[in-house]
Amino acid sequence: MNQFIQSLVDAISAGAVLGLAALAIGLVFGVIRLANFATGEIITAAAYSLILTWDLGWYVSIPISILVAVGISLLMELAVFSRMRKAGPATLLIASFGLSFLLQRVYELIFGNNVRTAPVASGLAQSVEVGGIRIQMLSVTTIVLTAVLLIALQLFLTKTSLGLQLKAAAADFRTARLVGIPAGRVIGLSFALSGILAAAVAFVLTVQSGAVGPDFGVRITILALVGAVIGGIDKISGSLAGGFVVGFATSMLAAWLPEGMTNFKDAFVFVLVIAVLLFKPSGLLIKGRGVVRT
Amino acid sequence: MSTADIRQGLLVENLEVAYNGVPAVRGISFEVNAGEAVGLIGPNGAGKSSTLLAIMGATARSGLVTVHGNDIAGLAPEKVVRTGLALVPEGRHVFAELSVADNLRLGAVARRDKSTYKEALEYVLDLFPILRDFGHRHAGLLSGGQQQQLAIARALMSDPDILMLDEPSLGLSPTAVDSVFEALDVVRKAGKAVLIVEQRAEFTIAFSDRTYVLHDGVITLSLKPEDAENVDVLTQAYFG
Repeated sequence: MNQFIQSLVDAISAGAVLGLAALAIGLVFGVIRLANFATGEIITAAAYSLILTWDLGWYVSIPISILVAVGISLLMELAVFSRMRKAGPATLLIASFGLSFLLQRVYELIFGNNVRTAPVASGLAQSVEVGGIRIQMLSVTTIVLTAVLLIALQLFLTKTSLGLQLKAAAADFRTARLVGIPAGRVIGLSFALSGILAAAVAFVLTVQSGAVGPDFGVRITILALVGAVIGGIDKISGSLAGGFVVGFATSMLAAWLPEGMTNFKDAFVFVLVIAVLLFKPSGLLIKGRGVVRT
Repeated sequence: MSTADIRQGLLVENLEVAYNGVPAVRGISFEVNAGEAVGLIGPNGAGKSSTLLAIMGATARSGLVTVHGNDIAGLAPEKVVRTGLALVPEGRHVFAELSVADNLRLGAVARRDKSTYKEALEYVLDLFPILRDFGHRHAGLLSGGQQQQLAIARALMSDPDILMLDEPSLGLSPTAVDSVFEALDVVRKAGKAVLIVEQRAEFTIAFSDRTYVLHDGVITLSLKPEDAENVDVLTQAYFG
């Protein structure tokens, strides 16, 4: 029983971090139909920032990593995607693949092929015992961090004019512009928020591993994209829930699959993806066949 | 801006729209002045919606479009709204997952005078009292007629001088259509210019000060309100 509760907390934590990564992708997709594969490289940049500046203190390092993530995210939009406004989702996706590989090579050039390490918030890697159950501090921190970010995001999206504009644009971009909502403003905002979420993901992953290399953000981005598609990338809440489901399932499979099969946990998740794409291609949380966008 | 410019709300000259080289609108010209309603009718595919979208800058076009005498060539839709034009799109397109109040709030994003937001809100809620009762309801839960009222109210929140509507009667009950056109009459009498694209010819001709018939992207007829009951004219309008 104790082992189950421990793995449940870990799975919720894994789901939370993947949910945030999927949300980072879903926010941008909702507005400009870009499934940004290079979100992984935003995560990597934020992770490098944490590792390289951790000696300066967390109160310096964390803001720097957020600024770097937001900066790179906005730079991607300004330098690449803003020049491709009339391109379709497939073209944008391929462009983001290109950007992803380019940035990985740039990181390799700057930081080398070997991983960089630092004891980022190493205290969180310890476990605490609650009622006979050992729980990792990082799992609890991740769940709390995700909850705080989601509440803040929800308040922003529902209580502020800018947030409402973003929500409207994500629901129906064309009508949003016809109503007078500036396209550039909401697109920039979606990239900035995506950067903040990517920085949060980078923090959790960096504490977990204590090391970062050029392809640090690739695996989680693939899983987050999968999650976003499963949940329904057309809806912000769909991306979040889909990411959570994939993270949760992956973690539970890792904990409970028979020994010798745990290496195949990702394969089981992808079987789930294929099933969803076959039977509910618009995503689990989207009613009908999804939103038609013009 | 001269008095003549203010009176002359929207001027369209030699407007052309093409999709992948196929012409949809072929050099049409018309104007809509302050305090008058102009109708644009015609069969499906005549180029009516393309005309409105082209005026809004939402689709590529050539020709001259001025608002109060100012050329709005090359402006993005969100900037066109700030010149005093507003479009109620076909199918209403309210933000279904947002509340009625939030839809109205978004309509005011492009207001030129933000200080009069509360007065504008009162104005549209007086015009469509049902929206007052549904402020916190999701727009997607409203009936078709209520959604149309919300879409018009949202457009009015930007304080436009020229209100354009694409098929406002589409899918509405006769009672709902009546209430929409009653509200549009109030808007017209308040001095705003109204441009209505419709398929319901009789209704539009009777309501509008002038109605143009569009066929294959060309204006083929200009009708007056008294033509609304002339069957021959209506037949000619639709079947040439």
